[in-house]
Amino acid sequence: MPIVQLQHVRKVYDTKVAVDDLSFAIEPGTMFGLLGPNGSGKTSSIRMMIGITAPDSGAVSLFGRPFHRSMLARVGYLPEERGLYKKMRVLDQLIFLGQLHGLTASEAARRSRAWCERLNIAEAIPQKTEDLSKGMQQKIQFIAALLHEPDLIIMDEPFTGLDPVNAALLMETLVDLRRQGRAVLFSTHRMDQVEKMCDNIALIHRGHLVLSGSMREVKSSYPRNRVLIQFQGGDAFLRHSSIESMKLYNGHAEIKLRPSPTLDEDTQSLLAEALRHTRITRFEVMEPTLEEIFIEKVGETTPKNGDAVFATLPEQEPMGELVDA
Amino acid sequence: MHNVWLIARREYIERIRTRGFLITTVLIPLIMGGFIFGSSFLGGKVSSESHIAIVSSDAQPALDLQDELEQPALNDGAQTATANQPHMTVDVMGAGQETRAIVDRELDSGDLDGYLWITSPATPGAPPAFTFTPRSGGQQALRNSIASAIDAVLMRDRLARQGFAAADLDAIMQPVQIATVHSPHRVDREAAEISVTVLFFLMYMVIMLYGMNVARSIIEEKTSRIFEVLLATIRPEEMMAGKIIGVGSVGLTQVAIWITAGLLLASSAMAPHLDGQPLHFALALPQIVYFFVYFLLGYLFYSSIAAALGAMTNSEQELQQLNMFLVLPLAFCFIALKAVLTNPDSSFSQALALVPPFTPLLMYVRVTLGHPAPWEIVLSLALTSASIYAIIWVTSRIYRVGVLMYGKRPNLPELLRWLRYS
Repeated sequence: MPIVQLQHVRKVYDTKVAVDDLSFAIEPGTMFGLLGPNGSGKTSSIRMMIGITAPDSGAVSLFGRPFHRSMLARVGYLPEERGLYKKMRVLDQLIFLGQLHGLTASEAARRSRAWCERLNIAEAIPQKTEDLSKGMQQKIQFIAALLHEPDLIIMDEPFTGLDPVNAALLMETLVDLRRQGRAVLFSTHRMDQVEKMCDNIALIHRGHLVLSGSMREVKSSYPRNRVLIQFQGGDAFLRHSSIESMKLYNGHAEIKLRPSPTLDEDTQSLLAEALRHTRITRFEVMEPTLEEIFIEKVGETTPKNGDAVFATLPEQEPMGELVDA
Repeated sequence: MHNVWLIARREYIERIRTRGFLITTVLIPLIMGGFIFGSSFLGGKVSSESHIAIVSSDAQPALDLQDELEQPALNDGAQTATANQPHMTVDVMGAGQETRAIVDRELDSGDLDGYLWITSPATPGAPPAFTFTPRSGGQQALRNSIASAIDAVLMRDRLARQGFAAADLDAIMQPVQIATVHSPHRVDREAAEISVTVLFFLMYMVIMLYGMNVARSIIEEKTSRIFEVLLATIRPEEMMAGKIIGVGSVGLTQVAIWITAGLLLASSAMAPHLDGQPLHFALALPQIVYFFVYFLLGYLFYSSIAAALGAMTNSEQELQQLNMFLVLPLAFCFIALKAVLTNPDSSFSQALALVPPFTPLLMYVRVTLGHPAPWEIVLSLALTSASIYAIIWVTSRIYRVGVLMYGKRPNLPELLRWLRYS
């Protein structure tokens, strides 16, 4: 029984189609990555899962049944736009949010303390929220989404704005929660995070599902046509006929091979050629990265720009309206 | 319901704890009290001493007038509160060539507060002509006492010509004494008017202040983005209800503190010191009940409008542009107060007090000072409750859509679309 199921969901705002014919499912105990550039419909899809907006057509099911507000007690949500009461003390704030999710005040306090210890922010407990750093506030909100031990954890861009140490800490925490059998969905435009953590992914672009499935399936459906070479010496071997395109750095080349039925032989021939001219310290044959797959899928409309591939697309915040359930 | 309670409690506790609450609780009565006492103190001071000149070619009426004006206690009797009668110094001058220039100079230098010019009648037996020139336009009290002194002098003069003896004249001119006795069950009118006015201002200010607070608190949640977390667990209606109840309870607490403190002060410490003019805060129990009922209705009415305004806007500045929807009807009540106060049972007052935006403030005044029929009270409560329900219905729809809206403020067609949406 999937924890979340979207079937042919469509959502249109005044001027634009936010999501169209979107279907995917999230199984219990898995980590699901919802990927796409800014404005592609990630946040809209998430809001429909938790009843902040309703789909125009199609169906959203949680825990195997059509969406109902009572299910929200089992969902933990971290919105993309972080928000806390600035003037409130951290502990009061966590207790308040815990109580809204049905916890008693004392239970909420106990769990808040435990979580703050675990995420190394115990010193923040007596402070006012506005006195904390942004990263700390983000951790507080992260805790607030988890206090009531939800079966489904939905996090919209959970790692943006965190330093690598803290981002790693939160990733570990999420992996841990998945191990305990919770379903975790997070959205991101950072493909590298997804490759490491997710069991399943859905790629959306302009409101349409471009690609979905398990990480392994997605990757293995692509030929191993990427070669990484580290070398010392001349680079004349890089004129080899099997190479379609490449990026050459100092003593290090990322190569994409020409599609061919004899890809394996081409690769070996490239290696032989290279060995003849130069000293090889590393030679690795790989599937394309998720980033490359995505770019290939959505065509050349999306410019490549370091790791934040999609940052150049304009952010567009859709208007929402709410469900009555 | 549990969620509404949680939201309201958070709102209440967080607001009660702020320094702002403490400051307004202490400052507002201080300012109001200071204003009331200050104005009466200043008013008393200004009218307490006047210096005028009487210029007349004929000495007798001028001297009579001088007597009349300088000894008001003797002749004026209990006509008005004697203590408040200005003490007057009166100079009598003969009308000469340069008199006009002299008095005008003294008027300019501030030595004189005004002068009275008496022109003898052309035909004997006719009354002389009186011209009073005050230093400034506003000296109504001074003009009034001079007018009544002239009346008294002319009357005495005429009676004397009819052949009345001087002793009889004093008896005749003695004004009638009217004794005012307070019945224990009927509060006297003046005190009632004062306390109603004070409570009217209290209601006006608290509704305005806390209505705006509701709007502000919604905007604050929009800017801090906390509402998206809240919306993932509770309904927007619950959020709105909790907010209105929480903020309103703070207002009620504040009013309760003020009224309790006012009653304590009036009954204990202050009362002995004000023995001459007792500070009657005539607050009978039904009055307090009516006050709270109409206060609650008014608060609900205006705070739900404020909630809609808050949901439609993204910043305080934008709210400022829209807050006339809140301020205008309240300001109108303020303007109409005088008319309703002096004539609480006129058809104007009757009609106005039944219009829902005005009911809370104006019907409250009528209930305490006038005699509205029971059906009027019931109708006013029903109409206001019905319109509050309608406003909350509309507001909650605007709120549902509006809290998630960022960017530009919606225009009217968009608003109408929101109403259909949800």
